[in-house]
Amino acid sequence: MTDLLELAIAGLMSGLVIGLAALAVTLVFGIARFANAATGDTMTLGAYATLGGTAATGSLIAGGAIGILAGAAAGVIAYATVFRKLERRSPVAALLASIGVGFVIRAGLGLVYGHGQQVFQLPLVRPWRVWGIRIQPTDLEIAAAALATLAAVFLILHATPIGRQMRAVADDPDLARVSGIAPRRVMIALWALAGGVAAVAGCLLGIKTVVAPEMGWDMLLPAFAAAILGGIGHPVGAVVAGVLLGIAQETATPWVGFTYKIALSFAVLLLVLLVRPRGLFGRIEGVR
Amino acid sequence: MDAYLIAIAIVTGIYVLMALGLNLQYGLTGLINFGHVGFFCVGAYAAAILASRGWPAAATFPIAAAVAVAAAWPLGLVSLRLRDDYFAIVSLGFSEVVRLVATSERWLTNGVQGIAGIPRLFADLSGTTQALAVLALLLVLNGLAILAMRRIVASPFGRMIEAIRDNEEAVRALGKDPARFKIQVLMLGAALAGVSGAVYAHYIGFIAPEQFVPLVTFQIWMAIVMGGVGRVSGALVGSGLLMLFLEGSRFLRDLLPFVSEVEMASVRIGVVGLALILFTLYRPQGLMGDFTRR
Amino acid sequence: MTLVLSGLTKAYGGLRVVDNVSLSVPSDGLVGVIGPNGAGKSTLFSLATGFLAADSGTVSFDGRDLTAVAATGRARAGMVRTFQVPREFTHLTVRENLMAAAPGQAGEGLLAVFFRPGAIAAEERAIAARADETLAFLRLDAVAATPAGRLSGGQKKLLELGRALMTGARLILLDEPFAGVNPVLIEELSARIRDLADRGVGFLIIEHDLRALTRLVSTLHVMDRGRLIASGAPAAVLAEPAVRDAYLGGAAA
Repeated sequence: MTDLLELAIAGLMSGLVIGLAALAVTLVFGIARFANAATGDTMTLGAYATLGGTAATGSLIAGGAIGILAGAAAGVIAYATVFRKLERRSPVAALLASIGVGFVIRAGLGLVYGHGQQVFQLPLVRPWRVWGIRIQPTDLEIAAAALATLAAVFLILHATPIGRQMRAVADDPDLARVSGIAPRRVMIALWALAGGVAAVAGCLLGIKTVVAPEMGWDMLLPAFAAAILGGIGHPVGAVVAGVLLGIAQETATPWVGFTYKIALSFAVLLLVLLVRPRGLFGRIEGVR
Repeated sequence: MDAYLIAIAIVTGIYVLMALGLNLQYGLTGLINFGHVGFFCVGAYAAAILASRGWPAAATFPIAAAVAVAAAWPLGLVSLRLRDDYFAIVSLGFSEVVRLVATSERWLTNGVQGIAGIPRLFADLSGTTQALAVLALLLVLNGLAILAMRRIVASPFGRMIEAIRDNEEAVRALGKDPARFKIQVLMLGAALAGVSGAVYAHYIGFIAPEQFVPLVTFQIWMAIVMGGVGRVSGALVGSGLLMLFLEGSRFLRDLLPFVSEVEMASVRIGVVGLALILFTLYRPQGLMGDFTRR
Repeated sequence: MTLVLSGLTKAYGGLRVVDNVSLSVPSDGLVGVIGPNGAGKSTLFSLATGFLAADSGTVSFDGRDLTAVAATGRARAGMVRTFQVPREFTHLTVRENLMAAAPGQAGEGLLAVFFRPGAIAAEERAIAARADETLAFLRLDAVAATPAGRLSGGQKKLLELGRALMTGARLILLDEPFAGVNPVLIEELSARIRDLADRGVGFLIIEHDLRALTRLVSTLHVMDRGRLIASGAPAAVLAEPAVRDAYLGGAAA
């Protein structure tokens, strides 16, 4: 039982990371209307930038801020140079281009940092024991950072004019255009936000595990699965689905083994698309 | 040098076989298959496992094709009714799961260590003659595939898959079920990738899960996008360009000793990425021009 | 009665886009549906042809209940639709567009393609001959070898009608066949539709262009905000005050 609880806690941690990644996916999918496969590599960028920033400034907080800025900048640059020009084309064109964008980011990181694994040099802390369950203090900090990020995103979406405009575009792009929302500004804000969120996800994943060139790409499938499970374009859904998926993956590990964790995301992805394509919370959306 | 050129030609031939399959799927039918490497992997492992147990190549090739087709069938059955972009994501996930299976099922695939010592084709020949025999086999396989492709393009079946590519809703409005055609196309393309994988396994002699990453899929995408979407000649030209690029980057590294192999690997990923972006933006129909029939 | 729609309803959220609509089209009838933008005409079409699932109501064709049958099945049963924005097969020639529509082709099976080339060639000749007849009937023979993507808007509407004819449909549902078509071609198209009705093909036509439609159809239905507000002979229907308010008043404003 304790083992299972510890797995559930580990699942909650990786679930928060998946949830953040899924949030980045669902924001773009809901507003720019395509599945952004560069999300994973933007996460990796965020992790490396945080690592570099931390080394340069000596502060993890400052490093994290640099990571977020790097992710946001990558998002905006990708929008300005690639995705803006594909707005009138099919979602598939943008999806294919986003794979290219991801490769370019990964190539750049590989050139700068090499292909080896790196770790955040954090002081080792003895785990706490609460009713016999081991709890890592770092986990609490990661969870706090994830929750703070979520709070910030929802604050932006619901309490700022640009956030409200984003949600209006997500609901109905044509109506939004008619009612005089400047799509360009909204899109730039969207890409900055999605890039920043992806960077946080990557940074937290890097702190929890290791920083490596493929780390973000490997999170893409769980992120897509959670975004679809949560209902495309539904931020709360993406986070909830991410957490559920994370817990399911970790608690299933004793039975399916470590490597098949990712396969679980695939199964969830397929099952949701077939059985309930609008996900847990989504509106009716044509997927067939 | 001769041996080198023959080796290049063989690897190009392996790519062409895969590119022909993807061209049938994407170029002619509009299927966004992001998991092509999965079928290649399945074919390679099927051939390697059987050949290591002493099966002759005459058996491993058809079985490699059949196993790839058998993998495509359920995938198509459950996911071809989904929207294009969802199918793309699902197929990408499929190829990742195939790789996970190759990594995890050690009893069958020897896990991350991979399968070494896969018997070569035409093992009783030696040196250049053996390599030429492999090349001849590939030429025959590719020739057959191209003939089959031409037959399909000129047939009512070919007309219907192109109609599906142009407008799926209209096909449904005429009372024809696009999924029935798409699943056959998925299976045909998978068969080509499976055979390609079998040749690869026998030729290279060693396979491991790390060789079957999504990058391979997107290299083939780059090839058909460069060569010309929807044209049989596009698969040939594109694979040639792909090979030129992959080998060229190796030459470049010989010329530039200060560039490490790791850096060059990154450069290759970057170039594939850049090609995907630029062609999507500026030449969606590829270098060889627009979709054409015949 | 060939096509019978009864009580069709479709709602999005709280909004009833199509609200309890019943109408029927006799086997050689020419029936029109008009209404202002957003009245629910296209949605009604999609419900009738199975491109959308109705929340309630039934669709029957030739006495067979098709409510649970998917779009492809309904088309195979003999009721074929066209689209408001033409959906031609862009890269196929006009003749190939028509040939693709022929039902039950053996050549659409992969095995036959490789093992029965002779039978397929004969089948293709027969289909090509029918396609050429249809093209001549629609006055499209001059562009038979042109890729369909290069046709004018009006020609594309004719092409869609041609494809529907090739399926052997007994009821054709035309979604705004006159929109964006020049007046000469409208006359041409109307004449073809009348010819076909004389041969026993039924038509259900949605249209915005009131004049062309009222001269063509024998029965006219008017939709407004999801409901049928009037039905009957065109002249009588257009004289009704409710129709003048909903449609003509709206058009004049």
